[in-house]
Amino acid sequence: MALALPLYVSEVWLRVFEYAMVGAVAAIGLTLLSGHCGQLSLGTPFFMLVGGTAYAALAADAEAGSDLVGIGLPPVIAIVGAVVVSSLAGLAFAPVAGRVSGIYLAVATLSLVFLGLYLGQRFTEFTGGAATGRPAPPFTIFGFSLTTREPELTVLGVPFGAQERMWYLFLILVIGGIFLALGAVRSRPGRSWRAVRDNPASAAAMGVNVARARATAFAVSAGYAGLAGVMMVLWFGLLKADENEFQGSWSIAAAISLLAIVIIGGLGSVWGAVLGAAFVFGLPLALRLLVPSVPLLASITEGSGGFTPSVITAFAYGSLIVLVVIFEPGGLAAIGRRITARFGR
Amino acid sequence: MQRRVVPMLSASGLVVGYGANRSVLDRVDLSVPDSGVVAVLGSNGAGKSTLLRTLSGTLSFHGGALHDGQVKLDDRPIQRLSAASIARAGVVQVPEGRKIFAKMTVEENLRVGAVCTPPGRRASARERVMELFPRLAERLEQRAGLLSGGEQQMLAMGRAVMASPRVLLLDEPSLGLAPKLIEQIGDIVTEISAQGTPVVLVEQNAAMALRVAATAVVLEVGRVAMSGEAEQLKDSDGIHDLYLGGHSHPAAQDVDGEVEGEATDLPRRRLARWTA
Repeated sequence: MALALPLYVSEVWLRVFEYAMVGAVAAIGLTLLSGHCGQLSLGTPFFMLVGGTAYAALAADAEAGSDLVGIGLPPVIAIVGAVVVSSLAGLAFAPVAGRVSGIYLAVATLSLVFLGLYLGQRFTEFTGGAATGRPAPPFTIFGFSLTTREPELTVLGVPFGAQERMWYLFLILVIGGIFLALGAVRSRPGRSWRAVRDNPASAAAMGVNVARARATAFAVSAGYAGLAGVMMVLWFGLLKADENEFQGSWSIAAAISLLAIVIIGGLGSVWGAVLGAAFVFGLPLALRLLVPSVPLLASITEGSGGFTPSVITAFAYGSLIVLVVIFEPGGLAAIGRRITARFGR
Repeated sequence: MQRRVVPMLSASGLVVGYGANRSVLDRVDLSVPDSGVVAVLGSNGAGKSTLLRTLSGTLSFHGGALHDGQVKLDDRPIQRLSAASIARAGVVQVPEGRKIFAKMTVEENLRVGAVCTPPGRRASARERVMELFPRLAERLEQRAGLLSGGEQQMLAMGRAVMASPRVLLLDEPSLGLAPKLIEQIGDIVTEISAQGTPVVLVEQNAAMALRVAATAVVLEVGRVAMSGEAEQLKDSDGIHDLYLGGHSHPAAQDVDGEVEGEATDLPRRRLARWTA
């Protein structure tokens, strides 16, 4: 179904799903870290910025007369490089991430968002700065672009433009991310993380290196964030540093949306993170598209109350978080499990 | 008392404290031979758990620090190693209050136990656990937090046995369990030790501990008050009155004569006070 979707759905709706996939990848990393290792991080947007910047710098061609850094690597290698760079950035935070736990880590990682803001505006040769940004290097593989309409392609009468192609690229990245995460959860690293989460002293007494397990989980989640950052840059077609710490792709607001995704989806659930992302990242964009055609929504948003789609979503997921925490701490994932237990099998 | 020249695990002159309190353990010695059960007895706050934490290197998780003394495994000092390295070297602790991984299944708990077991030994370790704890075999898919207290204790012990330990450290396995279960736990401890794994058993339940132990030490406010063979300690009045629920007999005040071994002057005086 997902494979055939671009044949039926218009470009603008594809973009909604693609944006949700960006959130999904970042949230998968966060749900591994928070749900399995018990570490709370607000630093995800920072690592997204690192990943996005690394991709732009690695994949772009160096141009004469421009002071933007461009290494000119093939985009596939640049994506891998971006994930590696952001994981390493996560590992560099290990002295903190390995020792500090829970809510204290959340506060410590909040500083990374401010660091990202500063670095993004300071090193404009990498990020393009907050004013103009820099164009995202198109993702091409063997000369076939997956993020622009070059060369032209028509499948079953449907022209495959940038969004149709990006859909498949993102789908591959998300599915790859899901399966890697499920693998980690089911095998040794996941068990060590959960042991550390449930009881660090016991885990250590069993031979689990607590600091290393925490640092690894942090680096893995930073890697996911880095990949999400690359996707974000490709989605916007632009890399741009944030203007302030409260708004933008790499801001505190983004950090909190990601946390919301993970909680709504169910802490620790990979599929829950995907569902949560569809809700938190997808809904604002979807509402914006629905407003003109749904009279009720239009009347709400056209009033003087300032109920823009993003405000409505903020209310929606705010109340959903409260409902989830009170009635179903397992999140959407637990609701899903209950439904499959009743009707499936 | 038959003591090997080089015990498998030994501690000497341990001085341990938490924060400002620097002498929760005050020059404690302990020697664990390569077979049998060593019981560590004592009342609340005597330092029993602290002693085990020192041996397993988990002191730092509780805000404690080793100020002096040495822990040796086969003559190799291990007191500066991390908890994980000590566990990998074969000294594995079952912490007080079980501390199982409550949100994980029984199976997963056991697998965490085998984290540092070489792959070739995992199957046999698992087999051993299933034989020792048949109850666990029936509940592998259950969440550990949903097990009964006795089952949780068995899981905690099973998890440790999965690590194929060279020395097993048990902290109050009888805590909060019914008498029948305590007896069962005691039998399992005997069985584990009979299979060739020496056990250090910290207990408040002296009756159970002395039943399964070959040797025992009694801690009293951070010092070794008595040590010796379990049989002899069992008959001593001090132990009897304090831990076995006996009543003091005016006729039996010859405390010094009863307790053999390495009791120091200080504890003897205390002992006399207890029995008076």
